[in-house]
Amino acid sequence: MVRDIIRNLRKDFRVEFRSRFALNVSIAFAVITTTALSLAAGGVPFSPRVQSMLLWLIIFFSAMNGLSHIFVREEDQGTSLFLRITASADSIFASKLIYNLAFMAIVLCVVTPLFMFFMQVTVRDAVYFAGSVAGGGLSIAASTTIMAAMVAKAGGKGSLFTIISFPVLLPVLWLSILSTASSIESAGHADYGTLIFLLAFSGFITAISFLLFRYVWQD
Amino acid sequence: MKAVRIFLKIIYVAMPLTIVMAFLWAPPAALLGDASRILYFHVPIAWVSFLAFVVSGILSILHLSGVKKQNGGLDEKAYHSAAIGFTFTIMTVITGSIWARISWGTFWNWDPRETSIVIILLIYIAYFSLQGALTDNEKRGRIGSTYLILAMVTLPFFVFLVPRLYPSLHPDPIINADKKIYLDDHMKLTLIVGILSFSILYCYLFDLMNRILVIRKKIEEYRETSN
Repeated sequence: MVRDIIRNLRKDFRVEFRSRFALNVSIAFAVITTTALSLAAGGVPFSPRVQSMLLWLIIFFSAMNGLSHIFVREEDQGTSLFLRITASADSIFASKLIYNLAFMAIVLCVVTPLFMFFMQVTVRDAVYFAGSVAGGGLSIAASTTIMAAMVAKAGGKGSLFTIISFPVLLPVLWLSILSTASSIESAGHADYGTLIFLLAFSGFITAISFLLFRYVWQD
Repeated sequence: MKAVRIFLKIIYVAMPLTIVMAFLWAPPAALLGDASRILYFHVPIAWVSFLAFVVSGILSILHLSGVKKQNGGLDEKAYHSAAIGFTFTIMTVITGSIWARISWGTFWNWDPRETSIVIILLIYIAYFSLQGALTDNEKRGRIGSTYLILAMVTLPFFVFLVPRLYPSLHPDPIINADKKIYLDDHMKLTLIVGILSFSILYCYLFDLMNRILVIRKKIEEYRETSN
């Protein structure tokens, strides 16, 4: 199984980085929205809560532009049947999950510094801020992997991925916004319980998704 | 099955009884007065929506585990239960908003319980959108059931956890920390009758929708054979 996962991951990264379509779209979306917001604000500083809300909105929609691509591409190019024959559902889910986590990490590494630069964000508790962003991003990637598979089976129709992912991700976004705002606002008030919750939520959704994936994947 | 259907006819007595008890027999609450009578409808409706979502989740688990049923798949029954649950959730929001207007002065104020119910509504709107996007019947059943199970496992978080973690203006839920119902005996009995009546109403509607499904399938079969 480990060999299958590594083989699938190698293939996914090669195919993605040949065109970099999903990554380019997600990062371009983040850059455009961040600069548009900064331009519209005209240098007027926002409160930590508003900064946090805007950061998570940009992260969420940037992720929505790319996270479903990993499964939609397999269906579009007609390679899903071949994948179903050559690898088990469990190994496919694990490899796609790892890919989505890596994809999300890249998006976060680009979006967060860019947002901080353009929106003049001064972080008081850097460790807590980094933990909040990483925890929220991890939860988004983990929760949406199975949704991406469902959307791919539905023909990857337009904004369906955002529609079906948003309600499940709302608690993640809610807590991420609160913890990020708290890390921007004041130092020494880190609530690591929120980060533990985000990790627990990701673990829980990943475990359920792992059990259910074979029913979505196999025809 | 026939005995169950005859039992479900109780609804024709139970529902008028609930209405009479709620409006004429139960005393008004000390501070809220007659407005408190909405409790006998709001709580049972909220209970039925939760029950319907849990039933749809269980039917989805059975569907995915390969249990076969005559006359209509379990996935279609799960869809019906989710549809009833969704309708009752909207009714919960409406009755809750009326109650909020009377006791808090506004229809909506993003109380943790109100936020939770909006998220639940969004989850099921997403489920119906997903069902609409899937054209193949077999695929629709499998993927829809998967989404319903995911929705069901997140329900306890929204129904039980969020309203208890964050400060809320909402009155103590029926299943509260002390595990006691703080109501007068008449009010308690009316509430219990209300919950039973609405549960029977759910079973009645669920049975009705499943019977319509069977008839529709028979018509389709007849059309196919006659062509």
